[in-house]
Amino acid sequence: MVTRNKDLQKTTESLLKKKDSQAPSKKPVSVPGDNPVIYPLDLPESDARLQTPAVGARATRPDGRLHGLGQTKYIDDMSFPHMIHAKILRSEYAHAKIISIDTSAAEAIPGVLATLVGDEIPVNTFGPTFQDQPVLADTIVRHKGDGVAAVAAVNEQIAADALEKIKVVYEPLEAVFDPQEALKDSAPKIHGDKTNIYTSKIIKKGDVEKGLAESDHIFQRQYSTQMVEHVPIEPHASIALWDGNGRVSVWSSLGRITLGREDLSRTLSLPQSKIRLIGTIVGGNFGGKNEITNEPILALLSKKTGRPVKCVFTRGDEFISSTIRHPFVMDYTTGVNNDGKIIARKIKLILDGGAYCSWTGTTIGKGSILAAGPYNIDNLFVESYAVYTNKTTTGAMRGFGAPQVCFAYESQMDEIAEKLGIDPLELRLKNAFTEGSASPTSQQLQSVVLKESLKQASDRFGWKEWKK
Amino acid sequence: MKVEITVNGEKKIADVSPETTLLKMLRDEFDLTGAKLGCDVGDCGTCTVVVDGESVNSCLMLAARASGSEVLTIEGLATFQKLHPVQQKFEDLGALQCGYCGPGMIMSAKNLLDKNKSPSVDEIRDALAGNLCRCTGYTKMIEAIQEAAKEINTTNAL
Amino acid sequence: MIKRGKGMACMWYPIGFTVAANASAATVKVNTDGTATVLTGTVETGQGALTVLGQIAAQTLGIATDDVHVVSADTDSTPMDTGAIASRTTYVTGNAIVLAAEKAREILFEAAAPLLNVRPEQLEAVDKKIRVLSFPDRFLPIDKVVAHAENTLGKPSIGSASYNPPTVEMDPETGQGKPFNAYVYATQIADVEVDDETGEVEVKKITAVHDCGTPINPMLVEGQIQGGISMGVGFALQEEILFKDGTQINPNLTNYIMPTSLDMPELEVELVDNYDPTGPFGAKGAGEPTAVPTAAAIMNAIYDAVGVRITNLPATAEKVLAAIQEKNKAVA
Repeated sequence: MVTRNKDLQKTTESLLKKKDSQAPSKKPVSVPGDNPVIYPLDLPESDARLQTPAVGARATRPDGRLHGLGQTKYIDDMSFPHMIHAKILRSEYAHAKIISIDTSAAEAIPGVLATLVGDEIPVNTFGPTFQDQPVLADTIVRHKGDGVAAVAAVNEQIAADALEKIKVVYEPLEAVFDPQEALKDSAPKIHGDKTNIYTSKIIKKGDVEKGLAESDHIFQRQYSTQMVEHVPIEPHASIALWDGNGRVSVWSSLGRITLGREDLSRTLSLPQSKIRLIGTIVGGNFGGKNEITNEPILALLSKKTGRPVKCVFTRGDEFISSTIRHPFVMDYTTGVNNDGKIIARKIKLILDGGAYCSWTGTTIGKGSILAAGPYNIDNLFVESYAVYTNKTTTGAMRGFGAPQVCFAYESQMDEIAEKLGIDPLELRLKNAFTEGSASPTSQQLQSVVLKESLKQASDRFGWKEWKK
Repeated sequence: MKVEITVNGEKKIADVSPETTLLKMLRDEFDLTGAKLGCDVGDCGTCTVVVDGESVNSCLMLAARASGSEVLTIEGLATFQKLHPVQQKFEDLGALQCGYCGPGMIMSAKNLLDKNKSPSVDEIRDALAGNLCRCTGYTKMIEAIQEAAKEINTTNAL
Repeated sequence: MIKRGKGMACMWYPIGFTVAANASAATVKVNTDGTATVLTGTVETGQGALTVLGQIAAQTLGIATDDVHVVSADTDSTPMDTGAIASRTTYVTGNAIVLAAEKAREILFEAAAPLLNVRPEQLEAVDKKIRVLSFPDRFLPIDKVVAHAENTLGKPSIGSASYNPPTVEMDPETGQGKPFNAYVYATQIADVEVDDETGEVEVKKITAVHDCGTPINPMLVEGQIQGGISMGVGFALQEEILFKDGTQINPNLTNYIMPTSLDMPELEVELVDNYDPTGPFGAKGAGEPTAVPTAAAIMNAIYDAVGVRITNLPATAEKVLAAIQEKNKAVA
C-alpha cells in the first residue's frame, strides 16, 4: 500500500523546465494588490440549515463554504503591520547537559531583532499533568525535538540563517531509547535519579490467577505498536502581540484555549486577565494541538521587540517537536472455557512515554480501563507503566491508547475463536457487554449497543455469506 | 527580479528575490492566501494551483518560472453569483472538515473535470493522489467530484 | 497469488476525561428577531463543532441551524471550556449549551405565558414559535416574544450554564470506580486482499457501524467515521516514525507514508440507533472511536487471507511477506 502519485510532481517538474520565452499577455498591467478578489455574494443556504427541528439535520457547515473558497483565515494567513518571524533551534543530542548557549553571532546578523533562551522565561516548565517540560531547554535536553533557543527576524529566511550562528555547547549524556531498556535499574535516568517509570495504573477485579487456573484454555501473546504522527495538514502556528498596556494577545492553532491561557499565565508569570488567547479555525488537531508549544516564546519575543511575532512550524518541526502517539508493548494472557466464555484476562502494558509526560496520564488511564475489551470478564488484572525514553514526546492522539489495546484484544479474540472453532462473530456476541454490564472498573454501563453494532455490521457486510 | 503574471484573469507584477516560489509570491505579494504551505517540498498538495492548464505544487515552482503564465488559484473559481460546482458540492456534502487541504484539493478536482468530463472513481482517486487530507478519508470528496461532474454535464447539455 | 480475507473488530470508548473535571460553560443569547448567538470556549478543529453546537442550541430554542451563530475560542469573550479533546465536545459542551439555552428559553416562556393565558411550564419552543403544549394553534412567533421580553419587559433572553460529567474516583489499588459518564460502541469489518508473493495488503472494503447516541448531524458523523478509518488504515499498514539513535529518520511526508486517496477502501458506514438520556438530545460523541477498531479488523482479515498473525504494527509488505515465508518454512 505504499503509493504516491508522482504525476503531479512530474507536471510541476516539466513546468519548471519550461522556457521563459512565453509572450506576456497584452492586457493592461496593474499595480500588485489592487485587484479585488471576487467573493460570491448572497448564495442560498441549504434546506437542512433552514429546517426545524435542527437536530438530526444534515446541515452544512458554516465554515465549509469559506474553506472551499479559500477564505478561511488560518494563522499562516494572518499578518499584522511590522510583523516579524521566529524560528526555534532544536537540540543536537537526544540527551545532553547544556553547558552554554551563545546567541551573540546570531544577534549580529542584520534583520535579526531578538533572540530568546530558556533562562529568560519566567517559569520555564509546562505540561498538562506534570510540568516536566521546558518551554526552551536550559539545563538538559532530553530528546532531539527540544528547543534550545529562538530567533526573531524580519523574515523567515534570516531567522533560519541566524539559528545556524547560535553556539550551543553540550555535554552528551547516556541516552535510552527502548522502553523495556529504560525500565532497568541500570538505565540512564531521564528525570530525577530514581526510575524512568513516571506513571502507572492497576485495574483489579475478581481473582485473575484463580480464573486462569480454572479455564479450559490459556492464550498468551505479546502485541506491540509503533510511533505515529498526527500529521495535521496545517502545522502548529501562532502569532503573539505584546501591547503597550502590558497585555499580550496570542492567535494560536491550539485546540484548548482555556488551558492554553493558564499555561501562558504560568510560564509568563502574567495574570490571566492580561492574556488574550484566540483560537482560529484549526487545520487539523487529532490531539496534537492540545498544549502550548511556541506561544510563550513568541510572547516574550514580542515583548522584547515591540513587534507582532509569528511562528509556523516546518513539517520537520511538526514531526520532531510536537507530540506523537505512544507505542505500546502489550502482554495478554486470557483464560477461556470450551464454550468460548472468557473466564480471566491478565494484561501488562508498557507505554513508551517519550521525553516528557504530556498527556500520558490520560493515555495510560484510558488504555488500562479499555484494555480488556468490551467483554464481560469476572477476573481481570491490568497493570500499566509509562516510561521515559529520549525520544519524541508522546501525548494525546485520537483514541488515547484505545487503538493500541483494541489491536491486542481483538487480535486475541480471533486467535481464541480459531482455536475453539467458534465463529469470530459468535465468540464476540457470547462475551459482549449488554445493557447493565459491569465494566472492568465495576461501573454499570448504560446505553450499550455493542451486540447491535456487531449484528448490524455483520448483516451489512454479509459476514456469514461472504466467500473468498 | 520582476515577474509578470496573470492570476485569476488579472495581470499582476511583483518584484521578488530569485528564490521566491510561486506560492510565496501568491501569498505574500498578492495576498492570495487560499493556497497553503503544508510541507514546502511538494508532498502534501495543499499549495496546488493551476498554471497554464496544469495543476502544480506552487511550493515547488519558482515565481520566475511562472512569469508570463496564466495562473488560476482557489480565489478565481467563484463568481459573484455562483460557486464553482466543485466548491458547491464540497459544501453540500460536507467534503471538507478542517479545510486546510481544501483549496488544493478543489483545484486538483477542477483541473481533472476540465480535462475529463466524466471521470471514474479510479480516475478521481488518481487525480487527488497528490493532495493529502488527514480528516476525511477522501470519501465525501470523491462523491462530491462525481456530483460536480454530473452537474457540469447537465448544465452544458442544456 | 492474491488471497482474500475478512476480519472484524469491535470496541468501546468513553466520552470525556478519565475522572478529572472537564467542564464546559456556555452562554446563549436570543436576538429580538428570533435568531441567536452562542458563546463557547471550544475550538473548531475541523470536527464540525460550530455546526453541531449551533444545531443543539437551535433545537433547544425551536429555531433553525442557520438562525444560530456560534462564537468560539476567544478567552476575552467566550466562557471556559476544556476544549476539543477526548471526544467530549458534542456531549459536554453540548449539554452546557442545552442548559444555557433552556435558561434563555425560560425567559421567553415567562414573557409569553400571560399573553397566551397559560403558565410558563405549559409552553414549548418549536418551529420558531412559543406554543402552548398540545394546542398547536395557540402560539406567538418567537421573534415577537423575544422583542416583547427585551424591549417591553426589559428582560433580554439570555442564559449561561455549565456542565461537567459526573464521575467517581477510581480506587488507587484496584482501579474500581466510575471514570466516565458515557461510552460508545462500534464494530468494523474489513475485506482485504493480500499478495502472498509480495506481502502487499490492499484493503478493499470496510464496513463500519458506530454508536454515537443520537447523531446531531449524520453527515458530520459519517465524515468522522470515514476520516477515522483512514487514520486506522495508516496505523495498520503504513505509518511509522523511524528512529536511529534517537534521531527521527523520516520526519517528512516523503518518507512517512500516510493514506492517500488511492489507499482508501470502499466504505460502508452506518449508525446504530441509540439514545443516551444523559447526552444532549440523546447524543454521545464520535471523534476518536472511529479510528479505534480499524487496525484490529485489518489484522484479523490478513490472518484470514494468508494465515499469518501480525503482532507488531504496522503490517508493512515486508513484515507480512516475512511472516508468510516463516509460516511456509514451518509447514515445509
